[in-house]
Amino acid sequence: MTAETSDDHLLAAEKLEVRYGATQVLWGISFNIFRGKVTCIIGSNGAGKTTALNTIAGVLPVAGGKIFLDRRDITALSSRDRVKQRIALVPEGRQLFPGMSVEENLMMGCFLPEFRKQAQSSLSRVFDLFPRLKERRRQLAGTLSGGEQQMCAIGRGLMSSPQLLMLDEPSLGLAPRLVDEIFALIGNIARQGVTILLVGQNVNYTLQVSQYGYVMETGRIALEGPSEMLFNNDYVRRAYLGATEQA
Amino acid sequence: MAGRMKFSSLWKRRMALILPWLLLLVLLVLPAAGLSANMVRLLFITAVWTTCSIGWNLLGGLAGQISFGFAVFFGLGAYTTGLLMHAGRSPWFGFIGAAAIAALASFFIGLPTFRLRGPYFAIATIGVSEAVRVVMNNLDITGGASGYRIIENGPYRPLEHYYTAIVVVAGAVVISSVVMNSKFGLALRAIKQDEDAAADIGVNPFTNKLWVHAIAGALTGIAGGIYARRAGFFYPGDVFSFQTSISILLMPVIGGIGTVWGAVLGGVIFGIVEEQLVAKFPDLHLLLYGGLLILIILLEPDGILGLLRRLFRSKRIEDSGSTGADEILWGRSRLEGREL
Repeated sequence: MTAETSDDHLLAAEKLEVRYGATQVLWGISFNIFRGKVTCIIGSNGAGKTTALNTIAGVLPVAGGKIFLDRRDITALSSRDRVKQRIALVPEGRQLFPGMSVEENLMMGCFLPEFRKQAQSSLSRVFDLFPRLKERRRQLAGTLSGGEQQMCAIGRGLMSSPQLLMLDEPSLGLAPRLVDEIFALIGNIARQGVTILLVGQNVNYTLQVSQYGYVMETGRIALEGPSEMLFNNDYVRRAYLGATEQA
Repeated sequence: MAGRMKFSSLWKRRMALILPWLLLLVLLVLPAAGLSANMVRLLFITAVWTTCSIGWNLLGGLAGQISFGFAVFFGLGAYTTGLLMHAGRSPWFGFIGAAAIAALASFFIGLPTFRLRGPYFAIATIGVSEAVRVVMNNLDITGGASGYRIIENGPYRPLEHYYTAIVVVAGAVVISSVVMNSKFGLALRAIKQDEDAAADIGVNPFTNKLWVHAIAGALTGIAGGIYARRAGFFYPGDVFSFQTSISILLMPVIGGIGTVWGAVLGGVIFGIVEEQLVAKFPDLHLLLYGGLLILIILLEPDGILGLLRRLFRSKRIEDSGSTGADEILWGRSRLEGREL
């Protein structure tokens, strides 16, 4: 990994510090997102994974540190401007617009004028990826099943043809069969060349679909490395994959 | 089948375009057809209330920000109009001033309160509204709690007041329709349904809320100005009262929150019924409103318009009954013939 040049990094976070009021949540974490690959952040509840994503999306202000996109400092950009830089966040809990149809929800992903021209082709692409959404395009998003809602949320994120797609807990609250399906879809999206930052508690799947991973604990990066290595790491296996102490 | 559906929706579209103008025409001609002075007065006050209802509905119904503080705009509109007319300006100048001051106030109120969400925002607006009332009660230049008087030279012309109110309420309907069918309106609907998701797709919830608050405030301010000019005398305990805020909120809820015609319907019903209620049950009328509010929210959250829609089985997939997101963002021509 030492031979890596920064050209391989689509996004680099340097010593990010984030506070909610007096409570510090991120303690100077640094990580890189590799161009064209799936990078993941794993960790338990409250480790700061979602905070890290929201900080990159510009929803949360930083108390310290910098964020670089293509070596350009974007720390000062608003969330709106970061959407324009084609950074898309699919938030945790699939926050859809429940009173709008599936198609409208997707179209809202092209709300900014910059993306409007490509709306048609983006919509076709999303419907190719998620044929189920095409069948249900006139249905209200609030009436979809959990898995379909997650697909709709990911689809909305893809509508702006993001160069970076951030997925926050995409398997949260889904039936095991749907979890399989969602992770297979994430693999498909990655194969189309979209850079993905994946956050998940489902460590098993998350490490299998990603190439590089960071392990977060209480607001710090505890461990990092290629996903395969993390998957076989004793500590990770014990703490997150439920492996018992080997006798 | 498809052809028939197309025809009926086209017909509905045409009716929706023609009916409002027909209604406006009737309202403009009515006084000439020999309307009693009392009816003219009743229609005047109904138009004033309806304007407030339409204004509140933009913020509360479309953007989902429930405010209990619209009396501030109504009262500021009344006082601004009064002060400007006292300074020798024309009433219309007064109304424009009322709109400007109310919009300015909405900005200062929104700046801190729009950082709050849901019930916290609602509670904050009560606080602001009560604070303004107390200040106005003690402000010397406006006569404090004793109230303010507008003195106009010349004969009293009830029809002039009536036509002013009708023109303003018609203008409010037009503004409201334009907002609801614009990209701005679409952003507000997104904010109402999920503020975080809206921010994630590049909508700035804070500035969008500030803008709609200003439009809503301005409309309510003008309504306050028109009311004040006709009343000739008003005081903080009346125009700035909590009761005024409640009344303004109640109308769109009764009629059908989030839709232009729901707000209008609510305003009309409220305007006509209120007087009877106050006259017949002076001590109980607030209780009756409370009961009505509970019943509507429990049984028919979409108000009377929602009830009518359900009765006539015209199903809408849209939350607010306004134009679809795709149509707003890409226009009709591009939508038609799109096959995926």
